[in-house]
Amino acid sequence: MATPAALPPLPFNPSRVRSYVLRLPLFTRLVLLAIILFWLFELQTVWSVVQWGSLIPEEIGIGTMYRLNTYPFIHVGFFHAFLNLLAVTPLLERFEAEHGTLTAVALFFGPLSTFPAGLYILFEKFALHRNTAVTGASVWVFLLLGSEAIRTFKSNPYFSLGPYKIPTWTSPLFACGLVSILVPNTSLLGHLCAIFVGYLLGLGYLKVLVPPEWGLRWVEGKLNLLGRLPHYVSVDQKTYGRYGVLPTTNAGGERATPMSYLGSSQRLASIRKLRSNPHFLFVHLPHILSFICIVAGVVWLLLLPLNDYSRQTYISENALLPGQVHAYFSGSEQHIFRGYKKELEAILTSQTPEGQESRSDEYTPVVSDKIQSILRAAGLKVATQKYEYTSSGITHQGQNVYAIIQAPRGDATEAIVLVAAWKTVDDELNLNGVSLALTLAGYFKRWSLWSKDIIFLFPPDSKSGTQAWIDAYHDMQPAFVQPLPLKSGALQGGLVIEYPFDHRFESLHILYDGVNGQLPNLDLFNTAVSIAGGQMGIGSNLQEMWDHDDSYERRLQTILRGMVKQGFGYATGAHSSFMPYHIDAITLQPKGEGWQDEMALGRTIEGLCRSLNNLLEHLHQSFFFYLLMQTNRFVSIGTYLPSAMLIAVNFTIMAIALWLRTGYYAGSKQSIVTPSASADEKKEAYVETTKSDASTAQPAIKPDTNSIRERHLALPLTLVVSLHLLGLIPLYIFNNISHQYYPSATYASIVLNAVLPVVLAASLTHGLTTPREPHQYLLIKSFSLLVLGLFLSTLATLNFSLSFMIGLLCTPLSFVNRIDPQTTSGPVRYVLSVLGLAFLNVLSPPIVLLGACWYFGVDVETVLTQAAFGWDVWGMWTQVVVWCVWWPAWVIGCALLGFSLF
Amino acid sequence: MTVLSLFSLLFLAALSSFASATSDYQESLVLQPLPQSALLASFNFQGNDSQESFDERHFRYFPRALGQILRHANTKELHLRFTTGRWDAESWGPRPWNGTKEGGTGVELWAWIDAVDDEAAFAKWITLTQSLSGLFCASLNFIDSTRTTRPVASFEPAGTHASSGNLHLLHGTLPGEVVCTENLTPFLKLLPCKGKAGVASLLDGHKLFDASWQSMSVDVRPICTQTGDCVVQIDQSVDIVLDIDRSKRPRENPIPRPVPNEQLVCDTSKPYHSDDTCYPLERTSEKGWGLSEIFGRSISGSCPLAEGSADGTVCLRVPHERDVQVPSGVVEVQKSDGYTRCYTLEPSTPFDLTIPEQEATSQVPLDEPVLRAERTIVGHGQERGGMRIIFDNPSDTKAVDFIYFETLPWFLRPYVHTLQATITGHDGQHHQAPASQFIKETFYRPAIDRERGTQLELALSVPAASTVTLTYDFEKAILRYTEYPPDANRGFNVAPAVIKLGSSNGGAASYPIYIRTTSLLLPLPTPDFSMPYNVIILTSTVIALAFGSIFNLLVRRFVTAEEASAMRAQTLKSRLGGRIIALRDRLKGKTTKTE
Repeated sequence: MATPAALPPLPFNPSRVRSYVLRLPLFTRLVLLAIILFWLFELQTVWSVVQWGSLIPEEIGIGTMYRLNTYPFIHVGFFHAFLNLLAVTPLLERFEAEHGTLTAVALFFGPLSTFPAGLYILFEKFALHRNTAVTGASVWVFLLLGSEAIRTFKSNPYFSLGPYKIPTWTSPLFACGLVSILVPNTSLLGHLCAIFVGYLLGLGYLKVLVPPEWGLRWVEGKLNLLGRLPHYVSVDQKTYGRYGVLPTTNAGGERATPMSYLGSSQRLASIRKLRSNPHFLFVHLPHILSFICIVAGVVWLLLLPLNDYSRQTYISENALLPGQVHAYFSGSEQHIFRGYKKELEAILTSQTPEGQESRSDEYTPVVSDKIQSILRAAGLKVATQKYEYTSSGITHQGQNVYAIIQAPRGDATEAIVLVAAWKTVDDELNLNGVSLALTLAGYFKRWSLWSKDIIFLFPPDSKSGTQAWIDAYHDMQPAFVQPLPLKSGALQGGLVIEYPFDHRFESLHILYDGVNGQLPNLDLFNTAVSIAGGQMGIGSNLQEMWDHDDSYERRLQTILRGMVKQGFGYATGAHSSFMPYHIDAITLQPKGEGWQDEMALGRTIEGLCRSLNNLLEHLHQSFFFYLLMQTNRFVSIGTYLPSAMLIAVNFTIMAIALWLRTGYYAGSKQSIVTPSASADEKKEAYVETTKSDASTAQPAIKPDTNSIRERHLALPLTLVVSLHLLGLIPLYIFNNISHQYYPSATYASIVLNAVLPVVLAASLTHGLTTPREPHQYLLIKSFSLLVLGLFLSTLATLNFSLSFMIGLLCTPLSFVNRIDPQTTSGPVRYVLSVLGLAFLNVLSPPIVLLGACWYFGVDVETVLTQAAFGWDVWGMWTQVVVWCVWWPAWVIGCALLGFSLF
Repeated sequence: MTVLSLFSLLFLAALSSFASATSDYQESLVLQPLPQSALLASFNFQGNDSQESFDERHFRYFPRALGQILRHANTKELHLRFTTGRWDAESWGPRPWNGTKEGGTGVELWAWIDAVDDEAAFAKWITLTQSLSGLFCASLNFIDSTRTTRPVASFEPAGTHASSGNLHLLHGTLPGEVVCTENLTPFLKLLPCKGKAGVASLLDGHKLFDASWQSMSVDVRPICTQTGDCVVQIDQSVDIVLDIDRSKRPRENPIPRPVPNEQLVCDTSKPYHSDDTCYPLERTSEKGWGLSEIFGRSISGSCPLAEGSADGTVCLRVPHERDVQVPSGVVEVQKSDGYTRCYTLEPSTPFDLTIPEQEATSQVPLDEPVLRAERTIVGHGQERGGMRIIFDNPSDTKAVDFIYFETLPWFLRPYVHTLQATITGHDGQHHQAPASQFIKETFYRPAIDRERGTQLELALSVPAASTVTLTYDFEKAILRYTEYPPDANRGFNVAPAVIKLGSSNGGAASYPIYIRTTSLLLPLPTPDFSMPYNVIILTSTVIALAFGSIFNLLVRRFVTAEEASAMRAQTLKSRLGGRIIALRDRLKGKTTKTE
């Protein structure tokens, strides 16, 4: 009886999906499994499954006939496989349910694979003389769509679109056209062949190929397939009629209920079962979900270097026109360059005290005066700026020299900055770079095409000088930094020149990371790569990847190096200081031994300046959030963001679950026990919960009786808020004490970190007179994780890498719980909690810092001095995240374990 | 033909001599080399027509096109400026004409309009801007109410007006307007000799707009003598600062390639000097130049309509000991100040002037500017910003009084309460001082969104040997998305401020000096325009199409009409009927199967 209830309701229902998936018939399951297996096989690199099994017209011979059958199972990528799976499952399920498993096997391993393949090869090889390989289950999708369409056509011949009548059998053709337009690299011909065969099938011309029913029955009966195979669809069990007859017309009232709508009672039962098991819903499910989120987040990141997820870089801002102009910087300019260099060298030699072996490279007032006089002679407006910063007891002072080429006909509205620091990032003497900038200043002055002022900035070092200058340029300078006497307009871009050695170079290393992980517009980076590579023939590197062979490992390594720099958020060069003011800047560092000389670098900079000069608007077209894995490949924020978001979401899921659990699910006293950090504990807890479930199943079945319980919020809220505020103390200490105390402060904080949670737990347990509800522990954790999750997901949009790193380090906190004294006996509890505390202490902020310092082979004092300098001068806030977000969450995690001791 | 032209020339000459009593036409060119190989060339063209003939629409030296517009718009006095670049006061000294004949970057226009009330004056003003827009090929029609102000103290009429009761001063600026050759051509057309003869024949768009700074001005004013004879005077001037090196480059090869090695001027005294190492030597001699070299052509004789002034038409300000080569037969008059010499042009005799390169012995002294002003936008971010104006009084003895006038677009909302002043002595000491200490008078007219801009006029006084810094904060408005220009991310131009020093009511300088700051670029919060369009619209469409059709094919179950009615049937009769139909269909189905 076809009742309206049999029609599928449209609203999406997850449990329906689940039951649908659980009831998929046998052959469909096998096909899905095969597709997934083949896709997994393809992940390894030794044996190319696609090459082995896809339908390549030229490869088809007697020995390779298997390809006619294997190609539907093989897919070229995850999305290909996934989408085809989605599409083929309902169609195949329907076919199998109608015709029985045996028929489906016979047809799909036989004619329904080989016929479209044969047809395709016929056309491709003999009519078109091409050799395009095809693969994928989409052939079955379109074949089945074709046969479905014919059936639809028989019952409902036309779509009425206004006055036009469109035959319904054409719908697969539309779908096919749409797919070939929308999805790249689809074989239109292959799909058309499939649709054609599908039409034949639908029209019943392929009936002859169907094995006779008596034969099938005989096989089925002999082998007792129905009894042996699960999910087997018998020949008799099939629900619909044979080809060409609309099932509903002949089934009539006595038609058996379709297979797929069977089991509604079963589904209800499963939901009821789930409901009757709130322990699973509130305790296990969040853990599972959190864990899945973490794994998915990490796997997502690992997928990014693949070609499917990354993109080729491109110049988005058309005004840049990189490499479209001839660079004239050559010839006699090189003589002038040598002249300036010798002049500066002479000063350095003269200022070196007698008898000293090495030359004194200090940036003295004599050097500054020389630079000024050279710039003045070239006709530029010159000014200086003194600055002084004090951080960790170290004073950084210096004098910036800068000069402006006022754009002819310009009106001081826009400017480009060229920076040549006296000392490079690595504290080497940047003599060639400074000489080159001086030569370029004289050379640029002669051109009349500049639409923007060009500012040449010569800071004494790469760390503080640019920062002082750019702060003062925006009138945001602190007290000990002089204001600028000479200014220009809005800065549109910055280039930093470094050339700290005397020999010729091979390639350009481009630094692009800014303070706090801000990045310059991708267009600027692309322009540099394109001008250096395309016009000058200079290769480029990034992230110190000198031998990048474009393999997966190298790409991943490049991404990770970029993420580490971004996550730490320190200034990687003189260009970094520009980024907070929304000025895009990069550093160009020549590297290696090659045959490119300083003039080639000069021409590259000339080309870059010409490109920037072309800009009508501030750089805005391209991406500001990206991960670079190669000079010409990147992932944009839309693709990589889910990775950090998933990790952040794991905390939020756990927090919400805990909140719900404290309010709605009381369970029994015993069932509050949750799996703890260690696996043993988990297992034990599971055993415990099943036991307790059995005993408490009766009251839990009636959810309505679980009235909303009152939560005691005062203690958890106070604790979480005060711990976050407490983070300000280490933040202040680590940014304000003198640099020689940093190592001892670190060790002291390790000890304090080990003691603090236990003391906290002890004092809260014994110090408070009011009895504590067990759910308060859960609330403490809930609030802490809620704050962590919210903060990390917000941070992910600003500094993806930092959010990802902190998120990963915090993952154990999702699974750490107080071990309930009532469920776990004394000694086991103590051992477990002490083990857990030891494990968490390894992941404490200071120990992670020590570990990282040991791994990278740097001094803790240097790192912390640098960090304090970043906080004081660059406005870096990595420490805030560490001390006010990570550390409080960590302390609460430890305290929860500490509670189990008392 | 020759006879005819001769005759017409004679006629014109006679006419000019006849008319000289009441109206005349004069032109002049002053050339002055400036430091750093710059050359200032000031062209001035002055024509007079009597008020009576002007009123009778009888135009002789006054251009008819402009005269008609002025009459139509009831404009009594007009000042129009086209300027590009910035005057480098540090190197070049005080401005030509004391800044009275220059405007801020872009186009600036102010006029006194005779009208009964403000509304009528504004209507006439719109008429005027629209007409001038067509005449000068400039976007003057974009001067709407948001860009129009009515300055109170910054401008004074330059002409004599019978009654100033009905006169309305309106002022408008277009800071983003790019001045180029299309503005020069109509400008030259207003001249009696149209740039074909006289000093105007030097004005070539290619050279003029390659200048480091250039300003074109048109001033129209009525002048009355004591006797009551009134003339309408049009005063056109072009001032340019050319870079001599750049202008001397031939037009067919304008690229400043690196010079050949042998032409490098090196400091051979350096110990490291060699064939491939060269420390460039600073040039001590003044560069040689010539009119035809710099302007690409020579003056093709004097304009026959121009009255030769007694001094001569072309004046050159170089020390008298400098060697200057002119064609033979040109009269040279040397002035007594020791720096100026003038030449009188002959009709239809080309005039050229060449100064050879010479060791510089003395320079024409440049006056110290009376006041230096700098205006910049400070701060960063999308929401707030600050304006910083620095006034530097270089004089050690005299305080400077002046009027500071700025118009701000409505989307820049100043917080006038944050107006603060800092005074820095030349010894470098900072003092926070109340702004009222320097500001004597304030005229402030707040903006109305989308209707008018902010107008701020301050009467300021800067003490001797000190620098006063005024700062105030402002907020950036968020525009409607249709209000953004196509290049929204470039930022929005803010018109230069005008500073007027000295006033007619006494003081040392009886004539005003004008200084203008550079224009500013204000970045406003800008939405990412491409993103919503590209991403949302395209993807939604694609998803809707693809998802809709495929989902439809996958999910929809087509049933026959009979079946549908059977489903709906609740009555016994229809249920029975449905059964029967189903039975029939079944039978039919069986028969088809057996076929």
